[in-house]
Amino acid sequence: MANVAKKVSWSGRDRDDDEDGRAGETTPLLNGTGPGAAGSGRQLTPSSFLRIGQLSNVDLNEDIHELETEVPRQRPNEIPHNEKLLSLKYESLDYDNSENQLFLEEERRINHAAFRTVEIKRWVICAMIGILTGLVACFIDIVVENLAGLKYRVVKDNIDKFTAKGGLSFSLLLWATLNASVVMVGSLIVAFIEPVAAGSGIPQIKCYLNGVKIPHVVRLKTLVIKVCGVILSVVGGLAVGKEGPMIHSGSVIAAGISQGRSTSLKRDFKIFEYFRRDTEKRDFVSAGAAAGVSAAFGAPVGGVLFSLEEGASFWNQFLTWRIFFASMISTFTLNSVLSVYHGNAWDLSSPGLINFGRFDSEKMGYTIQEIPIFIFMGVVGGILGALFNALNYWLTMFRIRYIHRPCLQVVEAMLVAAVTATVGFVMIYCSRDCQPIQGSSVAYPLQLFCADGEYNSMATAFFNTPEKSVVNLFHDPPGSYNPMTLGMFTLMYFFLACWTYGLTVSAGVFIPSLLIGAAWGRLFGISLSYLTKGSIWADPGKYALMGAAAQLGGIVRMTLSLTVIMMEATGNVTYGFPIMLVLMTAKIVGDYFGLYDMHIQLQSVPFLHWEAPVTSHSLTAREVMSTPVTCLRRIERVGTVVDILSDTSSNHNGFPVVESNPDTTQVAGLRGLILRSQLIVLLKHKVFVERANRSLVQRRLKLKDFRDAYPRFPPIQSIHVSQDERECMIDLSEFMNPSPYTVPQEASLPRVFKLFRALGLRHLVVVDNRNEVVGMVTRKDLARYRLGKEGLEELSLAQT
Amino acid sequence: MAPARCPCRALLPALAIALLGLAAAAGPRQTPALELAQELAEELWSAGLPGDLPELEPECRSLLGAFAEGSAALTGCLGRRARPVRLCQGCHGHYRRLLAQYGSIVRAVGNSSESHNCAKSILTSDRLQVVVTLSEFFNETWEAANCANCLKNNSEGLSNSTEEFLDLFNKSLTCFEHNLQGQGIDLSPNNYTEVCKNCNETYTKLNDLYNHLQRMNRQGGESAHSAHLCIDVEDAMNITRKLWSRTFNCSLPCSDTVPVIAVSSFILFLPIVFYLSSFLHSKQKKRILILPKRIQSNANLVNIQEKYS
Repeated sequence: MANVAKKVSWSGRDRDDDEDGRAGETTPLLNGTGPGAAGSGRQLTPSSFLRIGQLSNVDLNEDIHELETEVPRQRPNEIPHNEKLLSLKYESLDYDNSENQLFLEEERRINHAAFRTVEIKRWVICAMIGILTGLVACFIDIVVENLAGLKYRVVKDNIDKFTAKGGLSFSLLLWATLNASVVMVGSLIVAFIEPVAAGSGIPQIKCYLNGVKIPHVVRLKTLVIKVCGVILSVVGGLAVGKEGPMIHSGSVIAAGISQGRSTSLKRDFKIFEYFRRDTEKRDFVSAGAAAGVSAAFGAPVGGVLFSLEEGASFWNQFLTWRIFFASMISTFTLNSVLSVYHGNAWDLSSPGLINFGRFDSEKMGYTIQEIPIFIFMGVVGGILGALFNALNYWLTMFRIRYIHRPCLQVVEAMLVAAVTATVGFVMIYCSRDCQPIQGSSVAYPLQLFCADGEYNSMATAFFNTPEKSVVNLFHDPPGSYNPMTLGMFTLMYFFLACWTYGLTVSAGVFIPSLLIGAAWGRLFGISLSYLTKGSIWADPGKYALMGAAAQLGGIVRMTLSLTVIMMEATGNVTYGFPIMLVLMTAKIVGDYFGLYDMHIQLQSVPFLHWEAPVTSHSLTAREVMSTPVTCLRRIERVGTVVDILSDTSSNHNGFPVVESNPDTTQVAGLRGLILRSQLIVLLKHKVFVERANRSLVQRRLKLKDFRDAYPRFPPIQSIHVSQDERECMIDLSEFMNPSPYTVPQEASLPRVFKLFRALGLRHLVVVDNRNEVVGMVTRKDLARYRLGKEGLEELSLAQT
Repeated sequence: MAPARCPCRALLPALAIALLGLAAAAGPRQTPALELAQELAEELWSAGLPGDLPELEPECRSLLGAFAEGSAALTGCLGRRARPVRLCQGCHGHYRRLLAQYGSIVRAVGNSSESHNCAKSILTSDRLQVVVTLSEFFNETWEAANCANCLKNNSEGLSNSTEEFLDLFNKSLTCFEHNLQGQGIDLSPNNYTEVCKNCNETYTKLNDLYNHLQRMNRQGGESAHSAHLCIDVEDAMNITRKLWSRTFNCSLPCSDTVPVIAVSSFILFLPIVFYLSSFLHSKQKKRILILPKRIQSNANLVNIQEKYS
């Protein structure tokens, strides 16, 4: 915990710079010969350093693994980034309460009535999460609508002007420059101020709910950057949506409110102090994620199911009910505020950021004969989704390896914005698909080369925000688009969306997927009605919806929550069955062909899935665990504690506490487990045995002192311990968790995994039959095993 | 909607239908059966409530007659002015009158008693409710045409802006005709340069006025429905635009394909340069492997793969 800040700043970029300097000093000639030479020179330093560290570790435990020192290390210590790595950057959350004496005392003091107050507070917090999430969604929606409207009006006026006079290339330049400059601002704030706000934030929240602590993920600063970033990237005309980031925003709001303070603003409202620990915070974050989904799609039930499917591994019916409450409040807030904004206050017609519109007319119904067609669409969606992910995988890998400087990332985002505008313009320019302007509801009709009184049909798809384009594709009457237009649009938008996904801007992938799917779905519907000589049931809008569902399912591979979200967004329960079939098929086909959870893997996050890899029964805790373990004695010298905590080569967060018998060198029996954060608080308050004896007036340390430091415990470097104090002793028995979970060495990996996953553990001590500590299993030890193409694979740990 | 009927009246149609069905099934004996049914119906009518005769009260009948005539006039007007659309200009008087007639039916209370007022007997006494349907149809058509938009607020005539627009419209039509006549009949389809040159001014004015009206309307309107101008204006503009750009081919936009291709290919070229240069010049990001502290860290994977391969 404490070292998170330090590690983050210790990123690859800084190191590269340092080493460049070093290489430059020692071998100035080599530096001039090119990057390859400099690289080979650089390689020596960390490897030799690490080897020394390893040797010294092994020396201490020579008796256990003598053999290991003989094995020469053939593997290079520096490798290019790949998906088979686990980053050391990510810590685990403490979902399991540290049940030490202080905690037990406090829990005993709380009586029944006080517990009821706590329960009421939980409900109040959930209501506040819902309201604030809804308001943030309103803010995003209104600002995007106005700014995008302004941009499109300016560009439209310009195009109209130059169509008559000539010089449309200026309009193209204007459009591209506007896009690029807006995206530049959006990308700058993300790349330089808060990189964790990039993307949709769904993988990050998934990881958080899984129990991985992603640095900065639930900070207020992240929320601000996220909201501004998403507004700018949508206004900048990128192929992105504003729905995904709502989930992240809701989570940040939840985390902020439930703590009753903001560390970024340095304000502490002195409320909700009971909830200042990972367990409670994580429950509220799942409520926030649900509220975010609910505000994004107007789908409260979908939000709850999303939270359950994607994240909350630990839930009960009360938590679910509270989450549902938060999402209902969220969509209601959004709905009422937006209705007031649109001028029909009691209408309540906009429950989400995107509304698919009403699908309840006669021709929108479906028959049983159509179900095979829908399943076929699911197959297409799965294949296209797998293709999308595969392309994006290569692109993301390239980005991680080569485009890691923030300025390069900004330039890339600008280029994508400019190219998106250019592609749109060229498509509109080349299109000869003109539709009469009368009776259509086009927001920004571009005439261009069409006759007076007609508009360019391609422009409704490209010259609009993606949300509006989706709704147009669903609901425009048959014949509004000609097949050629739709085909070209699908092709272009597919590549644009794929290229955009993963840029350093905050933006979601839901809407682009829906848009691609809606375009080819509509195309499919048109060809179907052509084949069947214009039967009444072949309404292109319906197929656009199914195509959208198939494509989205093929890309994000969610099942339950996505079905419900789509169902709620269309407001039509009878579509539930075909949508479910389509999503199921898309997922099966997509999983057969391609990747899943790609961005989590590529970020090297130690993510634990529901189950251990299926073929891992042969592994036991003995093989999985890390050993040797740095243990502390129950009454330990302060100097030793400080040295262990300051050791940068081993950033352990939990230390088994053993019986202190200084006369023997043998490892003594396990007594408890203490966390780094607790040790830091102890050192900060100087809770030493000698001091306690000297001044009896000293205040006893309370649980509140630990809570106040949560969640940003100071690094060990900031705590000053004088030479005299180093000789003092520190008594851990009151603060350690006296009943940590342990397993014997013979426990199989699936068993360890189940214990770990079900209880949300962070440390699991492995003991032998004399209750002596032999090893420690942490999240990274378990997440290393993954089912690859050739059976079980083991990932390597890496510094990123 | 439907008033509460006494049971015998509810029974009547059913009985008649049943008898008719019987007659249809019987075939040759059709005529006597029909007569029987009619007789029965008449008998029942006379045996029913004495006030509830099929006859309307005289004042109600005159109201109904007025409505029928009014709707006939309006229908005729609508039909005659359907193409080119001149509904709002020509029929607003008829429509207003019809509205008034319908209003008087709705308000009219017969002098005999409360239960027998004209509104009830004309509007809601049967399932079909022809008068209501007609009136609804006219109202809907009027709404859809958005005629209120080009009439004055008290709908007693065209509004000033509409008058102005129609003036200009007529002027441009005259201009088209004038110039076409001057050229003679044997002109080739592409040779409308004269028209384009001479009428450009009027056409542009007309177009600008239309756009202006549209903008004003959009600003004033609250909901999406009133975003349309009234159908007369829209149609007039539509016809003119079609003539202008389709028939006369006057609006030839300058297509500057070469600069557009140049600029777009330049922009599309930029990412390639960017990716190539970052591939060649940017240092590949390396990850530093951390050796895990475990008992058989290297042999593990080999073990597993041996077991499962």
